[in-house]
Amino acid sequence: MPGVWIFAERNDLALELLTVAGGLASQTGVKVTAIVPDQGDQADRCIAGGADEIVLLSPLGEDMSLAAWIPVIAAEAKGADPDILLIAATARGKDFAARLAARLDTGLCSNCTALHREGDGTIVMERLAYGGTAVDRVSCSTRPVMATIPPRTFAPAPADTGRSGEIRKLPLPPSTPVRVIARKTKDRSSQDITEAKTVICVGRGMEKEEDINIARQLAELVGGEVGCTRPISEELHWLPDDLCIGLSGVQVKPDLYVGLGVSGQIQHVTGIRGVRVICAVNKDENAPIFQAADLGIIGDLREVMPRLIEELKKATGR
Amino acid sequence: MPNIIACCKWVIDEAYIRKGPAGALDFSTVDYKISDYDRNAIEEAVCLKGLHGGSVTVLTAGAPEAAKGVKDALSRGAEQAFFAGDPSFNQLESSQTAAILGEIIRSRIPYDLVICGEGSSDQYAQQVGPRLAENLGIPCISYVQKLTIGEDGRILAERRVEEGVEVVEAPLPVLVTVLPEINTPRIPGVRDTLTASKKPVVAIKKEELPPVGAARLQTMGMTATRMERNCEKFAATPEEVARFVGALQKLGVIS
Ligand SMILES: Cc1cc2nc3c(=O)[nH]c(=O)nc-3n(C[C@H](O)[C@H](O)[C@H](O)COP(=O)(O)OP(=O)(O)OC[C@H]3O[C@@H](n4cnc5c(N)ncnc54)[C@H](O)[C@@H]3O)c2cc1C
Ligand SMILES: Nc1ncnc2c1ncn2[C@@H]1O[C@H](COP(=O)(O)O)[C@@H](O)[C@H]1O
Repeated sequence: MPGVWIFAERNDLALELLTVAGGLASQTGVKVTAIVPDQGDQADRCIAGGADEIVLLSPLGEDMSLAAWIPVIAAEAKGADPDILLIAATARGKDFAARLAARLDTGLCSNCTALHREGDGTIVMERLAYGGTAVDRVSCSTRPVMATIPPRTFAPAPADTGRSGEIRKLPLPPSTPVRVIARKTKDRSSQDITEAKTVICVGRGMEKEEDINIARQLAELVGGEVGCTRPISEELHWLPDDLCIGLSGVQVKPDLYVGLGVSGQIQHVTGIRGVRVICAVNKDENAPIFQAADLGIIGDLREVMPRLIEELKKATGR
Repeated sequence: MPNIIACCKWVIDEAYIRKGPAGALDFSTVDYKISDYDRNAIEEAVCLKGLHGGSVTVLTAGAPEAAKGVKDALSRGAEQAFFAGDPSFNQLESSQTAAILGEIIRSRIPYDLVICGEGSSDQYAQQVGPRLAENLGIPCISYVQKLTIGEDGRILAERRVEEGVEVVEAPLPVLVTVLPEINTPRIPGVRDTLTASKKPVVAIKKEELPPVGAARLQTMGMTATRMERNCEKFAATPEEVARFVGALQKLGVIS
């Protein structure tokens, strides 16, 4: 049966996918099916967001991983034969999608940032290649066309509470050999850098963890948030992962970005493409960040930062 | 004593890709490298072997030129390699790669653990690992930042997910994909490179494998991403820093 399916482990992400799914489904007059965990008022909110059918996944046992649903969803998809299946690109979602695509023997566009239907009906999907050096436009010749879509790529679908839809529940899947034995929630930053007006980005050019304070001071002065490169969050664990900007992190679009000791490798620069004004401080005049920056100061952070803060204080009267 | 397979890909080093006019990509001067995070995959395999014994095999599918990558991988501590090289394996799509690797592993390499990188440096599709696990019919644990093999032949893995960490346990055989933070890859020395040339490489011809199916995704076009910026530079002197702040004010990004 033709249709557009979405799967997301969280409601906010389901609503983002519904924005895309609704657009695609209305072009061909097919239904939208949302597969979501059975939590609170998920079903009603997805219906209000444009879903015609809701497939609820019963809560799994504490030690079961989301992947337990893969065979069940694969069987559902084989039976119903949807045209399109969109999955929210969380860590579990990406894993889920790739395994589902293998079971359905179909193509999957990972981390898809845009998609549209051509005149002949082909779905064209965009993804980054070579670390962000290029945009690759792909199509899929098998059914269903699958894509994982990063969080915040699309705005959440607005709620239309007058809509109605069917709800059904899937029975619990059998347990798998993979058992979840603990879940630890990690620090998350309290601030959302994707919404910030200014982002001060810390790179490995920062000598020690305490030096992040100087970035915080700068951020406070100009009313911004602190973000970082992948080595800072992943290798050094100086800042939480959700502050990592780039290919494997988040995209930011503030008015002002200031990279402090950031080399500007393509995988990072990919995350700041939409920034209005990009600035950088780096002691290496050949650092690639200067090619990506509007304004760059060539110099040692230890020397530049006190001067910069002093000048900013003067300029902003703070 | 676990037999471990580390999958690694020989990729274009993106730093050498030049951008031509009208979004063209110029690959004429590119160099190649082992996909960044596959170095972590090999390192993890070699570390686990150091702790538990067993063996480390690297597995690559790619163009014949990827033989260089196989040698590079061997210099990082693996003891043997399986290499499926063919000109048509140059631009494999994830489903094809997983099919080829799966076939080779099933038919030729006894294993307990398969380690892949989180994502390849060129495609970063993050698919080959999970697809390969499905192909082999074994559990997949992706985005792993810490890995331990217990006495009982079970694997304990910390996987990173959005809210934090999921600690999972599974009996071998298992496929894991590893994050770069799991270890710091060694830098091979001259001796490592020399001994690498003496290690066995099992070359597999395309004809020895079942036909590779069509790519499930077709590339319709690739264009260079653009970043047009002013690239104005300032020195670190107090006057220049003041001029920098003045420029920010003029642009209206500080108030
Ligand atoms: C598949 C893949 C995905 C990736 N995804 C991401 C991603 O999402 N985000 C990301 O950030 N990275 C990502 N990376 C990593 C990326 O390639 C770079 O390695 C990383 O961005 C470099 O971080 P950095 O600039 O902090 O460190 P470095 O590259 O080490 O640069 C440090 C810079 O600081 C400068 N410096 C040092 N000391 C001083 C000083 N005292 N004063 C001034 N300057 C100084 C140096 O000149 C240097 O340019 C990814 C890589 C791969 C392969
Ligand atoms: N051609 C290949 N040969 C061997 N391993 C590969 C190949 N392509 C991908 N892999 C493995 O799969 C991982 C993920 O690749 P990808 O799905 O392209 O992001 C890589 O880090 C490698 O471990």
